[in-house]
Amino acid sequence: MMRARALIAAAVLAAAGCGGTPPERAVSLLVFGDPHELAAYRSLEAAYERADPGTDVRLVEAGDRKDLITRLSTSIAGGKPPDLFLMNYRFYGQFAARDAIDPAGPLLASSRQLREQDFYPQAMAAFQFGGKQLCMPQNISSLVVYYNRDLFRKYRVAEPGAGWTWDDMVATATALTRDANGDVVKGVDFDQPGAAPTGPPPVEYGLAVSPELVRLAPFVWSNEGKVFDDATEPSRIALDGPALEALQNFIDLRGRHGVVPTDQEAESQDDEARFAAGTLGMLMSSRRSTTTFRAIDGFDWDVAPLPVYRTPATVLHSDAYCIPRGAPNKTGAWRFVEFALGKGGAEIMAATGRTVPSNKAVAESPSFLDPNAKPRNAKVFLDSIPTIRAAPTLSTWPEIEDVANDILENALYYNQPPAEVARRLDEQTAPLFARARP
Amino acid sequence: MWRRWGAVAVVAVFLPPLVLLVSGSLHRPGLPPPTTPDLLPDPVTAEGYRLAAELGGLTRATLNSLLVCAIAVPSSVLVASMAGFAMARLPRRVAGAVAALSMVALMVPAVALLVPKFAMFRLMGLTDTLAPLVAPALIATSPLFPLVYYLAFRAVPRELYEACAMEDLTPLRTWWRVGMPLVRPVTAGVGALTFVLTWSNFLDPLVFLYDRELFTLPLALRSLATLDAADFPVFLAGAVLATAPALVVFVVAHRDVRQWRGVR
Repeated sequence: MMRARALIAAAVLAAAGCGGTPPERAVSLLVFGDPHELAAYRSLEAAYERADPGTDVRLVEAGDRKDLITRLSTSIAGGKPPDLFLMNYRFYGQFAARDAIDPAGPLLASSRQLREQDFYPQAMAAFQFGGKQLCMPQNISSLVVYYNRDLFRKYRVAEPGAGWTWDDMVATATALTRDANGDVVKGVDFDQPGAAPTGPPPVEYGLAVSPELVRLAPFVWSNEGKVFDDATEPSRIALDGPALEALQNFIDLRGRHGVVPTDQEAESQDDEARFAAGTLGMLMSSRRSTTTFRAIDGFDWDVAPLPVYRTPATVLHSDAYCIPRGAPNKTGAWRFVEFALGKGGAEIMAATGRTVPSNKAVAESPSFLDPNAKPRNAKVFLDSIPTIRAAPTLSTWPEIEDVANDILENALYYNQPPAEVARRLDEQTAPLFARARP
Repeated sequence: MWRRWGAVAVVAVFLPPLVLLVSGSLHRPGLPPPTTPDLLPDPVTAEGYRLAAELGGLTRATLNSLLVCAIAVPSSVLVASMAGFAMARLPRRVAGAVAALSMVALMVPAVALLVPKFAMFRLMGLTDTLAPLVAPALIATSPLFPLVYYLAFRAVPRELYEACAMEDLTPLRTWWRVGMPLVRPVTAGVGALTFVLTWSNFLDPLVFLYDRELFTLPLALRSLATLDAADFPVFLAGAVLATAPALVVFVVAHRDVRQWRGVR
């Protein structure tokens, strides 16, 4: 009887919210990632709970970015947002424009744990909107070239390094595109009109790069061209002369040089899998690929900076912690941010290999530049930071990317003229720019 | 003869993906994916299944999905059959209007109702529980199912219902003792379809569940889909585990229908 009463009392207390962690000590954090990445967040959560006993971080896990945006949009609109969420700067504009994020600036200004100068300014700037620091960047990755060192040695091709040019990259990719006999060959897409076999098809390609706007942009910038009409307040995609030259060279990688896989080949095996299989010389990707490639034991690999036209340039990849307006426990959320972006938390995330820490001291420490972990040349990510440029923050940016990427995919695989591609980019994205909230 | 060839055609379309699914799940994780289908893995390993359970929390997710289905499917079938029976007893014109309204309800996209549903369950304090996943059973899961029952009950000769009335059977007893046994194949079909809809429901768990311990199978499977390409056997193993119960339910429902037809 006593036991039954105790159980009823416990149930009533739990229903009344009197059991477990008090609400002011619980922090819900919405993140997305693959199971390994989510495991890293769970380690971070456990470390924080050990460092601050009595707190309870509740991870709300989404499988991918689209799931995270669905969860976040619904919970904000439904009046029950999480205390904290992690979001890429290219996708947070829709929430920033709707004033759904509580600015982190004042919290940072009064923080005893974090200072603005602890972080790379390029990452901080990406999360400023309307003159306010809205979110706190967790990482600062950029586009680099992963390359298979064994293939370079096998074909006696010079490894890429700082200052190498676009032409160097094309020559290198050409020398690495080989058929089954090990002879240099140009990959031909037989689905294209007039395409005729010139010999055996390639079994190893020199290069892979995804035909996306954020992959093309750094080469336009490097050629001192413009992607948008206005760098600070873009209202349309307006590729100028140097930009069209960079676009033509990008399209030529498939049509003229045949050094990247065809559309069908790219569909049947994605770029990371092709690289991991040892049949790809170089791959342009961000830091995210590192954890996948660390599982490779069949060959040696490293990273190099992007090739240069006139000025070194690369594109920012960065995620940040944001506190939504209406979050039930803002104080707790900020305390977690202080831990996660401080030395202890940033080192835990750096150990996963997936991120380049936004905290300068941790990024420049052995936690990130571990000489025993690949890539050996990890400093490339840090050396690229001064040349980083960011995509604009617009509420419709995810839609703009989707439309632009489809056009660039057709341009690359169907060898379309750059002027026509530029016209389509402008025409089809103009309504999305117009719809973007200021 | 034509039915046999039809069955062969259906099997030819649907069997190869299943075979590739099972074969892929038995590959060793961590290796680059083969460029062409590799039906006989070398070596054959169940490592993908172990990792799927470990990384995706599939054991817990399967139990949650089974719990939701165990409550939602029978409830949904009961509600759908009662609603269909009631419609069949209405005057034709009124029943037609209700059917038209059901068709309109069928056309409303699920996404359009997401925010109102979230706000409603939040007010009731039921977010982050399994209740929002079971709740659709109270309105028969889909407007389609009462309509299916309506057509089935309408096909029963009117004289039978009149005889039940003369025997002083209440509408509830007529539904349960006379109507339901006569539409048993429909119950098997609606039950199987409700199970598949509930089992594969992704959107509601995505929005309503925060706690990983409450995740259902589609959510857990989604996280495995984001693994690296080299871990494709882990995702495929998870997909096999998620597909198997739906196949079992289909086989049971199919057998049930065949037995019923044999009895007749």
